[in-house]
Amino acid sequence: MSVLEVEGCSIRFGGVQAARNVSLRAGEWEIVGVIGPNGAGKTTTFNIITGFYRPDSGRVRFKGRDITKLEVHERTALGMGRTFQNVGLVKSATVRENLLTAQHLEAGYSALAGMVGLPGTFAAERRLRARADALAGILGLGDLLDTRVAGLPYGVLKRVELGAVLATDPDLLLLDEPTSGMGPEEAHTFGATLLELRREFDLTVVMIEHHVPLVAQVCDYVYCLNFGELLAEGTPDAVRSNPEVIRAYLGQEAEEVLQESAPS
Amino acid sequence: MSLEIQPQASPAVEPVADSIAVEVVSPPFRPGLAGWVARGVVMAAVAAVVFLVPTVRGNVEVHIYTQAVIYAIIGLSLNVLLGYTGQISLGHQAFVGIGAFTSAYMVTVQGQPFLAAIGMAMVVGGIQALVLGAVSLRITGLYFALVTLAYGTMAEESLFNIQKLTGGSAGQPAPKPMWFTTDLRYYYLCLAFLTAVVWVDWRLMKTKGGRALAAVRENPRVAATFGTDVKVYTLMAFVVAGVFAGLGGALLAHNDTFVVRDLFNFQLALVFVIMTVVGGLRNRTGVVIGSAFFSLVGYFFDKLFSGGLHVPGIKVLPKEYAPIVIGPMLLLFTLTRHPGGMGQRIRPIQRWLRGGRFSSRDTHDDPTSSGGERVSDVRA
Amino acid sequence: MPTVLSRSALTSTAIAVGLAAALVATGSSQALVIGIITGAGYGLVALGLVLVYKSSGVFNFAQGEFGTVAIYALYRVHDKIGVPLIPAIVIALAVSVAMALVTERVVIRPLFDAPRVALLVATAGVALLAISLELWLGEARPRFIQPALGRLNRLSLFDVAVSDQRMLVLAALVILAVVLALFFSRTNLGLAILGVSQEPVATELMGISVRRLSSFIWALTGLLAGIAGILTAPVAGSFAPGFLTSTALIPGFTAAVLGGMKSLPGAFVGGIVVGVAQSLAVSSPAFHSIPGAGSVMIFVLLLIVLTVRPQGLLGRA
Repeated sequence: MSVLEVEGCSIRFGGVQAARNVSLRAGEWEIVGVIGPNGAGKTTTFNIITGFYRPDSGRVRFKGRDITKLEVHERTALGMGRTFQNVGLVKSATVRENLLTAQHLEAGYSALAGMVGLPGTFAAERRLRARADALAGILGLGDLLDTRVAGLPYGVLKRVELGAVLATDPDLLLLDEPTSGMGPEEAHTFGATLLELRREFDLTVVMIEHHVPLVAQVCDYVYCLNFGELLAEGTPDAVRSNPEVIRAYLGQEAEEVLQESAPS
Repeated sequence: MSLEIQPQASPAVEPVADSIAVEVVSPPFRPGLAGWVARGVVMAAVAAVVFLVPTVRGNVEVHIYTQAVIYAIIGLSLNVLLGYTGQISLGHQAFVGIGAFTSAYMVTVQGQPFLAAIGMAMVVGGIQALVLGAVSLRITGLYFALVTLAYGTMAEESLFNIQKLTGGSAGQPAPKPMWFTTDLRYYYLCLAFLTAVVWVDWRLMKTKGGRALAAVRENPRVAATFGTDVKVYTLMAFVVAGVFAGLGGALLAHNDTFVVRDLFNFQLALVFVIMTVVGGLRNRTGVVIGSAFFSLVGYFFDKLFSGGLHVPGIKVLPKEYAPIVIGPMLLLFTLTRHPGGMGQRIRPIQRWLRGGRFSSRDTHDDPTSSGGERVSDVRA
Repeated sequence: MPTVLSRSALTSTAIAVGLAAALVATGSSQALVIGIITGAGYGLVALGLVLVYKSSGVFNFAQGEFGTVAIYALYRVHDKIGVPLIPAIVIALAVSVAMALVTERVVIRPLFDAPRVALLVATAGVALLAISLELWLGEARPRFIQPALGRLNRLSLFDVAVSDQRMLVLAALVILAVVLALFFSRTNLGLAILGVSQEPVATELMGISVRRLSSFIWALTGLLAGIAGILTAPVAGSFAPGFLTSTALIPGFTAAVLGGMKSLPGAFVGGIVVGVAQSLAVSSPAFHSIPGAGSVMIFVLLLIVLTVRPQGLLGRA
């Protein structure tokens, strides 16, 4: 059974068709890559999947259930976790506080009970804290637990964000450019980490990714978007050698070269 | 659009090898025996001032101390909106006034016991805040501030003029409850209520509700991704603020033993905002001190300058105008020069009292450092 | 620009005519006339609010007090010291302008990069400071002020007798509206002010310092508030500390919001709509049982506009 099914989703902002009839699926335990040049509609598709955008047409199914009309937080409750291109964290809070905040639905008590200070909530808080610390240990963030997020280097931020998303206890992980800002070495290491996390946390992963070697290394299946439309899909090797995909990327590069050489 | 933390440093957006430790770990500092004794003495001295000084002062003065305690409750109420949710309320005098008139009405007209009246004031306060909170979901930022201002004025000119409920311009009596008829006893009663409010505020911020509010204030998208229902938590904050304000209003009514609508004007709303901002948003102790300060400033001003400040060549500054003359100056100073308010000043003392070093720096091994309280800038 | 202006001017005229027709038809012409004149005063306050908001994104809660200080200055200089009226008015307006300039220099500039809500709180602080100084140096009790033309009703509008002072207000406002319209459409400075919010860099390139322009805008806004204060206080017959803040700040903001916060003609027409609505609420028998019906009406109006048409009556979606 597919964990995630996007069925013919389209969305338009003013005069721009940001996504047109996009369909993709991710089976249990799969790692699915979403590639495409800038502005191809990858993040738009993520926003449709996670509920920040309502598609004009089409449907999103999660674990067999139609979730097209659900709110973002309801999708989180069903087991959907997501990272952001520009790091989705509470910047003024510490690493530990972020890991605690992300366990909002794992707390096991109501906000009112916490506010009044019912005895059970103290024990629950200790449990949440232990879980946050354990998670930080797994991701190598143990020394940074009391450090404020705002001052951390970008690479570390990405890792804290991954930890926070894992703290929400997701079944499906949506990663928006998890290796941006990393060199090829680190990206490779990240691939290994991802495979390990999948085993440890029983995850299905959909990720937007630019590093082609990483995609080839970990992805079971790849979708390529261009101008809001699905251009190609298949195994990493098949997509990589697809002439249309090559043309889309080459076209962009050619344009970039032209722009860079043009006087500004 | 909302009030939130101003980060001291922006995240460095550059590829960095992730094995770099940000700070060198040192063993956490613990004070020795003498250190703990010193801390104990300071805390005992503060407790003595709060508990014992009123016993040796006259009724007039105790009445004013009680007002300071009640203002602290009101300041904490406004802090929930301004500090925790980042929504500005320029109509908080209406929140408080509604509590005051509800309680007076319940006791005087309905003949209900004090506790029932207080409870009803909190319920009504919570409900009116819920309605305004629903408005804040659609209208945000500067425009919401405008709505609260118009709301406060409407309450002042219309709601508080409904003869049957408020006694109109004559006002409504609000006698002190049985067992607490003396000013001193009533002071301790209010102190108990303040303790309860501080407790709730503290637990709120230490548990999932407070963390959710911080996330919602700073980044609603991230909060939603973490599973927080942004609307529900915004409304919750309004209800908490409304309940605190309702309680504060009711206690204020019975402290004065009489409620008149003229008290709840635009100036009072601004004094509430000023005492909270000057106290230091998101800093509980700072807000309590700031609120008490503005409640007491008129009285002690009078003591200091006996009848008013005489500046040669200028008219005497009477004590009743002292808070609204001094307040805005302190506000402008706080906003332009010292965004952390009093809370930032007392931070080293707080840290020291909890067993840390006397330092104004946040270090990651400091057991008392926690997010969301350092800089209390008001921002859009 | 000209097409936008004429478009909004057309819409505003249509709204105003519609309102007038409806009111005359229902027989409340008294409320209509009073409302229009009061509303024109609100419009004047709203103009200042819009100017500042357009140029710097600040909601200026001190706008009302810029006007109140002019009333106090006029009272001091004219009624107490005995300076003739015209020089006294010039002095009073200078006081308003000075207060606006000091506010800009001392409060707005240091907070230039601060969040807009912080600026809002700061301007509210300025307002409270002004009120407290008026209480301290003036007096808490209301002062009475003689209208410049006495209390005679020599003229009438739509068969409604209107006091000479109200007529004077109306005439002054009409002249002022025309002058402002010419200033903003014909002079380089006026065009620069309108342009500064949209294209700060382009304005700078035209050789106009944004900083100087900011000072000028605040001075202008102080002047408008001063005129509003001087014109409206004699109609009311008395004034107390916080006069213009308590009578015109919220209506002024509501008017500005009605006009979409960015349109000068919209703000002026918005003021008239608010004035008429308020006057209708106060005088209508249907609302007699509601105390403070005027402020209820404004609150409801504000809520409706902000939820249903946040871009204002004249703005585009």
